[in-house]
Amino acid sequence: MLAIENLRVVYHDVISVLNGISLEVKEGEILIIIGANGAGKTTLLRSVAGMIDFYDGDIIEGDIKMEGSSIKGLDAADIMKRYGLTYVMEDRPVFWYLTIEENLGAASFSRWDKHVKTDMEEVYEYFAVLRSLRNKRAGYASGGEQQMLAIGMALMTKPKILLLDEPSLGLAPLITEELFSIIKKLNESGITIVLVEQNANAALNIGIRGYVIETGRIVLDGKAGELLENEDVREFYLGSGEKERKSYMDAKRYKRRKRWL
Amino acid sequence: MIDLIQTLGSGILVGLVYALLGLCIVIIFKASEAFNFAIGEFLILGSFLFYVLFFNESLPWHRALPLGVLIFLFFSYVLFFDIDLNFLIAVPLGIAAGLLIFCFLFFGLKLPSLITSPLIRFMIALPLGLLAAGIVGSMVERLTIKPLLGRSPISMTIVSLGLGFFLRGCIQLIWGSHSYSFFLDLPDITIEIGDLLYLSDPIWAGILSLLTFGLVIVFLFRTRWGLAIRATSEDQSKAMAFGINARFILMIVWAISALCIAVAGIMISNFGALQVGMSYVGLRAIPVVLIGGMDSIGGALVGGIIVGICEALAGSYIEPMGLVGFKEVAPYLLLLIVLFIRPYGLFGTVRIERV
Ligand SMILES: Nc1ncnc2c1ncn2[C@@H]1O[C@H](COP(=O)(O)OP(=O)(O)OP(=O)(O)O)[C@@H](O)[C@H]1O
Ligand SMILES: [Mg+2]
Repeated sequence: MLAIENLRVVYHDVISVLNGISLEVKEGEILIIIGANGAGKTTLLRSVAGMIDFYDGDIIEGDIKMEGSSIKGLDAADIMKRYGLTYVMEDRPVFWYLTIEENLGAASFSRWDKHVKTDMEEVYEYFAVLRSLRNKRAGYASGGEQQMLAIGMALMTKPKILLLDEPSLGLAPLITEELFSIIKKLNESGITIVLVEQNANAALNIGIRGYVIETGRIVLDGKAGELLENEDVREFYLGSGEKERKSYMDAKRYKRRKRWL
Repeated sequence: MIDLIQTLGSGILVGLVYALLGLCIVIIFKASEAFNFAIGEFLILGSFLFYVLFFNESLPWHRALPLGVLIFLFFSYVLFFDIDLNFLIAVPLGIAAGLLIFCFLFFGLKLPSLITSPLIRFMIALPLGLLAAGIVGSMVERLTIKPLLGRSPISMTIVSLGLGFFLRGCIQLIWGSHSYSFFLDLPDITIEIGDLLYLSDPIWAGILSLLTFGLVIVFLFRTRWGLAIRATSEDQSKAMAFGINARFILMIVWAISALCIAVAGIMISNFGALQVGMSYVGLRAIPVVLIGGMDSIGGALVGGIIVGICEALAGSYIEPMGLVGFKEVAPYLLLLIVLFIRPYGLFGTVRIERV
């Protein structure tokens, strides 16, 4: 469905962040992307969603294809309209000074039609908390509610494929669990999902396949279950390796070794 | 006492025009955090565009032609790149728009000879003039502000300063710097009760400004475009991520702003005459928005009325004491006092902070 081929992205013409990433998202799956802070996960999603130039970044090599045709260089709004690709930015991208209902309305701007009201009802079905808060400013909602709203807003754009950037950021474990079960439900309703997460354990548990990114490269990929079992992943992302904790030096060597894979 | 009521009343009427000026600054500031210093030039430009339509002023070909070509280029550009029309549709439409504008400017609209009633003529010329002002506003945004999207608001502010000088030069080239007599001849609605006397022109100015202000608010708070504008104003990147074309929205905001400035400009010109040197009136918006709060629409209304009243009071009570010209300074003095007490202005946004 979505294919990224040897993508290289730099910020401000000099800071190289993605150094040749290739990956593929298959229709109907939940794809998990994990990686340390600064690995370039957000940059990857920004590039796919057509927002990289807003951050003064450039795709200097490679291509991004949606259903076979290149979407490189298209506007964010175009990509959303033509290909049904919606990007939920990290850190709860809701409009603080608009009410919950206005937020949902703003998100449906690109496809305004008669069904907006019924779609809003549908979102309220998924996220029951939002209904009672509909006339409250989003800035006063709790972190969990804001994240639910952000995903609700993404649903208002009628996505076929949803890119989620660390939805569990700063949420309590219980809320995270609820959120992930909703993500799973969305996937079952036919939306392809790309989920970027720090919370590797929870994510890999609902995912089908996964990629591990490090300094702008893919260092590992495989079935979610296999990644969960993988010794290195357990060591560095799940914090529960069988062996004794390795020293920082070892960690660095691990990175160097993996870089040549 | 009668004197005071008289003064306050005229202050409020002028204040409503100032409020409209403030609104133009506020919506641009909210959308891009930049201060539009070219407001004075937009003000005279809008008035001139209206003037051309209302008074049948026609231009020689060597002035009309470049403007027509500019309109053609701009229209083709927007239709092709922003609205995504086919090249073969966009360019002919652009040519049509350019030709239309050229004909307007070169032959004049012939409105005065066609329609004798000034009110009807006004009602036809106003929307057309405002449309023209809106188009110029969006054109200016496309050429100067759009490339700066995502950059620091300071650069936009500086660009608007330079833009002001550029626009003033253009206006001077096209229309010269002499003054044009400007008399709308709207129906006389002078109010005279006992010793109170409110002249027709200021009343018209107040009513039309308030009406425009109201329409902009309805647009912002009751339509989906308004919702998109408010969303974009809060955060451009979030808006883009949810499929709102932030660049296009910013252009719309500039168009609305230029349109409102034109209304204010026409009203102000109607008080006297129209000439390039009038652009300094636009800077009245500075005390208005600083007193009201840079990012508050209600603040613009209150700030405008405060500045209007302050000016009127200074004019009728302090100036007679021998301080000629104090009227012009009074709003700035008031501004200083307000900023001492409330640095963010009276209605500056209280930021949402969760504790
Ligand atoms: N606008 C920008 N300009 C310059 N450098 C940037 C910009 N945005 C990100 N970077 C740099 O690019 C690198 C990757 O950032 P990115 O946000 O993609 O990482 P991430 O994997 O999403 O990290 P996190 O898990 O912390 O969100 C970082 O080193 C960061 O400093
Ligand atoms: Mg990130």
